[in-house]
Amino acid sequence: MTKLWWAQIKSVIRLEMKKTLFARRGLWIYVLALMPVLLFTAHTVFTSRDRERSRQIASRSEKPLTYQDLLAIKPGMTSEEVIAQLGKPPMRFHWDERRPIEGGSLKVIPHESYHYSDGVNDLYIDIAEGKANSIHIREGYNLAQDSVVFAGVFQFFYLRLAIFFGCLGIFMNLFRGEVLDKSLHFYFLAPIRRDVLMVGKFLAGLLATCIIFVTSELLQMIAFNWQFSPNVRDLYLYQNHGLAQSAAYLGITALACLGYGAFFLAAGILFRNPILPAAAILGWEAINPFLPALLKKISVIYYLKSLCPVDIPSPPGTPPLFALLVSNPDPVSTPVAILGIVIVAAMVLYVSSLQVQQMEINYTTE
Amino acid sequence: MTGVIKNDCILFEDVSKFYGEILGVNRVNLSIPPGVTSLVGPNGSGKTTLMNLMTGLVRPTRGRIHVLGLNPSEPEKLFKVLGYSTQFDSFPKGLTGFQFVCSYLRLGGTDSQTAEQLAWRAIERVNLIEAANRNVAGYSKGMRQRIRLAQALCNNPRVLVLDEPLNGLDPLARAEMIALFRTVAAEGCYVIISSHILHEVDAISDQVVMLSNGYVVAEGPIHGLRSEIHEQPAQILIRCDRPRELASEVLKSELTMEVRIHADGRGLLIKTLDADRFYLTLNRIALNGVEIESVAPADDDANSVYEYLIGTEEVVR
Repeated sequence: MTKLWWAQIKSVIRLEMKKTLFARRGLWIYVLALMPVLLFTAHTVFTSRDRERSRQIASRSEKPLTYQDLLAIKPGMTSEEVIAQLGKPPMRFHWDERRPIEGGSLKVIPHESYHYSDGVNDLYIDIAEGKANSIHIREGYNLAQDSVVFAGVFQFFYLRLAIFFGCLGIFMNLFRGEVLDKSLHFYFLAPIRRDVLMVGKFLAGLLATCIIFVTSELLQMIAFNWQFSPNVRDLYLYQNHGLAQSAAYLGITALACLGYGAFFLAAGILFRNPILPAAAILGWEAINPFLPALLKKISVIYYLKSLCPVDIPSPPGTPPLFALLVSNPDPVSTPVAILGIVIVAAMVLYVSSLQVQQMEINYTTE
Repeated sequence: MTGVIKNDCILFEDVSKFYGEILGVNRVNLSIPPGVTSLVGPNGSGKTTLMNLMTGLVRPTRGRIHVLGLNPSEPEKLFKVLGYSTQFDSFPKGLTGFQFVCSYLRLGGTDSQTAEQLAWRAIERVNLIEAANRNVAGYSKGMRQRIRLAQALCNNPRVLVLDEPLNGLDPLARAEMIALFRTVAAEGCYVIISSHILHEVDAISDQVVMLSNGYVVAEGPIHGLRSEIHEQPAQILIRCDRPRELASEVLKSELTMEVRIHADGRGLLIKTLDADRFYLTLNRIALNGVEIESVAPADDDANSVYEYLIGTEEVVR
């Protein structure tokens, strides 16, 4: 029997994959999935351009500089002290500040901007009246900061919006879309158990969303890592848990597709109007941090947040509501989180399988 | 009837279906034997609902249905023996005619090679071989009708349920399909057809189920149904060489209600309340020298029975 069911599931997957991956009405899902790839690609392009500029500035320096040399410059140092320490600035600008003084007249203060670079990091010094007035170091590689940015894009855009709405578009259409197209009877008239049909459709949806979103996540990671030199990349991937983090992001993406997919498949079977359940699920996921401990567990984002490999620190002054969305005060262990999503998805799919058995074809009332 | 499930017929036991407050069918008790059974009735009379109930696409609000002993809520068993060509004119997107039939078979777990063979055979039976590799979206209405028939036939089902199967077909294709239904029925299958077109019902059916407003108003062989309608006089067409002479003879019988000379002047149209006794009388008249060429009931077709039982609403004759 299992062999028959598996053959039937494969037939359903074959039919659904073509429809799901190449549907014109699903084009927006690709756009949504590829937006972070574009973002990180653009970031890499701009970073590479800046780095090239830094290299050029460094090559024009009187002597080779290190990051420590750049850090040695402090406010209050005279321009002579700066030049003694770093050599003549490879880039230098002049400008005058006209500051009002008592009696209504203006005092002209000459400013100079020195721009040094060690080839990766840039130092900007503002010299006013012969002394270092303000100092700014722009770090070329800031893996820690970039990782947090990546994590932020992943948690706030990719998980909560792209995957969420992508799964909505794909899984909700598996049954509801066919009812609207008046073609669901094709499946319901075939010698296949309705629950087997549902499993086939779910797996097709899962495969399609995984192909779209895991591929996009992979491309995002490639684009993200591209900006680093091979040495830094190797250091990040093999010694700073970069590889483990990448694997975690891919796994979380697949689990998100599983969890949200189960919810939206159920919504497509249970409700005629997909907007209302989608809004309800979106709301439920958003208020998750405020829910009691037991209710928190009946959601997808609770487990996904626990699995995220990089914590996003709340900067000082972050509104408490936003901070609560960012933080995960009560995380669960990785095995519990994975099992949690699988159990929640299985429960939702079980309810769907009961409902699909009762489903009737009555297109005129849809 | 309750308790024992018959495995050799399609059984409706006190079946009702309501769509909210709208009546689909009410208190239907039917036992459909092998052969061609036509469901006849005006739009909204419950024909499609009855077919959808039989195939599990909708569930009865009350009552039980068994198709050769199978429950329609078990599609994995039901559609091994039943094929349904619906009126729904939508198809899964992007499939050719062949893929449409073949995918249906594959969904049932048929292996790829067998599925291809069965699909081609079914497509051949509906004469659609040339168009089989074209996308269904580009098919004409008649071709879509035929590919749905192929899908219903591809499993070699014992029960064939066809909702308005002749819609959209040209006269030649209609004749071919009617012949096909008769062949399938002759093989011992149950062919259940809904139709608006009463003269085709006569040509196709072994028995009819007449529906009106969700109720079954009559069921059985057409000729049997006519004989059950006692309140309407039977009409008999007699072909003879001397109709006026024959008319004066039959008018002498108290069984004769009305006599009319046929429009072509070569026969009589007679109305009587007791056709069987009238035939005996006619035998006596014939013995007295009037040459009678043929005697045939003039109103035991589906059209007349329908008119007597249901009226004249929305049916094509």
